[in-house]
Amino acid sequence: MTLDLIDLEQERAYPPRQSDFTKPFWDNLTRGIFTTTRCDSCNRPSFPPKPICPHCWTDQVSWIELEGAGTLYSKTTVHAGPAAFVRDLPYSVGIIDLDEGLRIAARIIGDVNIGDRVELVVLSYIDGPLYAAKRYTVRLTSSA
Amino acid sequence: MQHEAVTILGGAALPVGKLQGVSEVGTQQLEHEVLARLVVDALHDAGLDKTDVGSMVFTLPRPYTQQKYFATFMANYLRLPCDGLVMEVMGNGMTPALALQAAVDQVRLGRTKVALALGVNFETGTPAPEHMMSSMRATGDVDFHAPFGFTPISWYAMDAMRYIHEFGSSREDLASIAVKNRHHAIENPIAQFRKPMTLDDVLAQRPIVDPLGLFEVPGRGDGAVCLVIAREDIAKSTGRPYTRFRGEGFFHEGAHQISEVPNDMIAFEAARIAGARAFKAAGINPDDIDLAEIYAPCTIVEVLVSEALGFCPRGQGAKQATEGETAIGGRIPICTSGGLLSRGHPAYVTALYSYFELLEQLRGRGGPRQVKNAELGLACTELGNYNAAMVHIMEAVA
Ligand SMILES: [Zn+2]
Repeated sequence: MTLDLIDLEQERAYPPRQSDFTKPFWDNLTRGIFTTTRCDSCNRPSFPPKPICPHCWTDQVSWIELEGAGTLYSKTTVHAGPAAFVRDLPYSVGIIDLDEGLRIAARIIGDVNIGDRVELVVLSYIDGPLYAAKRYTVRLTSSA
Repeated sequence: MQHEAVTILGGAALPVGKLQGVSEVGTQQLEHEVLARLVVDALHDAGLDKTDVGSMVFTLPRPYTQQKYFATFMANYLRLPCDGLVMEVMGNGMTPALALQAAVDQVRLGRTKVALALGVNFETGTPAPEHMMSSMRATGDVDFHAPFGFTPISWYAMDAMRYIHEFGSSREDLASIAVKNRHHAIENPIAQFRKPMTLDDVLAQRPIVDPLGLFEVPGRGDGAVCLVIAREDIAKSTGRPYTRFRGEGFFHEGAHQISEVPNDMIAFEAARIAGARAFKAAGINPDDIDLAEIYAPCTIVEVLVSEALGFCPRGQGAKQATEGETAIGGRIPICTSGGLLSRGHPAYVTALYSYFELLEQLRGRGGPRQVKNAELGLACTELGNYNAAMVHIMEAVA
């Protein structure tokens, strides 16, 4: 599915670096598509995307698109943060178990509890994208 | 054991506090002066001489320590030629445990009969928001975690949220750990926070990372410790009481903060495995341990480790703490020093304080906080969100 995009009129507080290998992830994310790598040999997905499968250490991996849906495993609200993030305080972060069997960490937006269904959204900052999770919204049609 | 047993024979520790900074007359406490004095004190405590020492394993100082290549600088400062290794080690929260282990291994390898495990952690001259800009890069993926603003203790906070969700525990139950540890610290002369504190005091503090407030997360502190590691024949020859390494265990789960393959994050698998290995090597059960010093930066961490090591049943750690089972005088006293929350948490030397507490307790030097008939002590340290754990079991030899 294509992720909702939320426009933010500021720059990212601590921008991630990109490598030649991870650039497609960030490029796709800009367009609302959440991707990662999957091993051609053992078939297991990985996150973050990696040029080497962490499970069997082969370098035969392919890009796949993830649905961007999952379950909130845990969360917290940060009230005392690193200098770059003081502008955002308080903010929530959490751990999400994606339906494809991957655990990721991201910002959490809106009211959502542990065990709830969540979906990923793109935070479109001026200088590039990040992602967050919010309460899952049922869609009448799906483009996926 | 096939090799000659290894012991902790002596030690010295600086009271934890805020020491970094320039005074009104322009002077400051310098790391090497502080540590050199502890080296002399520790050797005196061990009943050994400078010439007995043949290896020094230092914890890496914080980046705020101006003097670089601290280990070799100290070798010069102390004018100590060494046949065994002189080095600095780093492994985040596990740093001091790795220094201790490396010193033990130098003795086991026969490079020296006596090694020092030592270090100094000065950091309070740097404000917390600036410090976190560095520490967040150690407790997370710089590109896939740090950009969201995860702080080191935010991971433990998520452990707490999950624990409350799964086991119906409460913030109050978790907060009781902080009260218990403060009660222990009141009787520890080297503890940073010794003012009496009630559960209401803890609950009234401002939130830091939900559900944890100011007194449920570690304050910042400076500290320094020197421990004397000796082959047992050397220890015996001094005629002094000492503590012998009885068993040890280590495990790294191959994950950093979270496992990308979903697991039971709050089972603290690394602590369970490292603990089981240490108990097996020592030939004992968790029930046999008289006291435990657990590396627990937040209340929840002590609960989860007490469960992973088998001191408390799963989901019961917080409840049993509220019932006094982990307090001095209880079934299994945990963090008799006051732990990271009250004894203090100068992170890169914190676990050296844990071993120092075991040394004091197992030599009967605990004073008003002495655990009666303490013969077997356990120390557990970690890195990340307990992604790796190291457990040592020490026994008293009088
Ligand atoms: Zn593979």
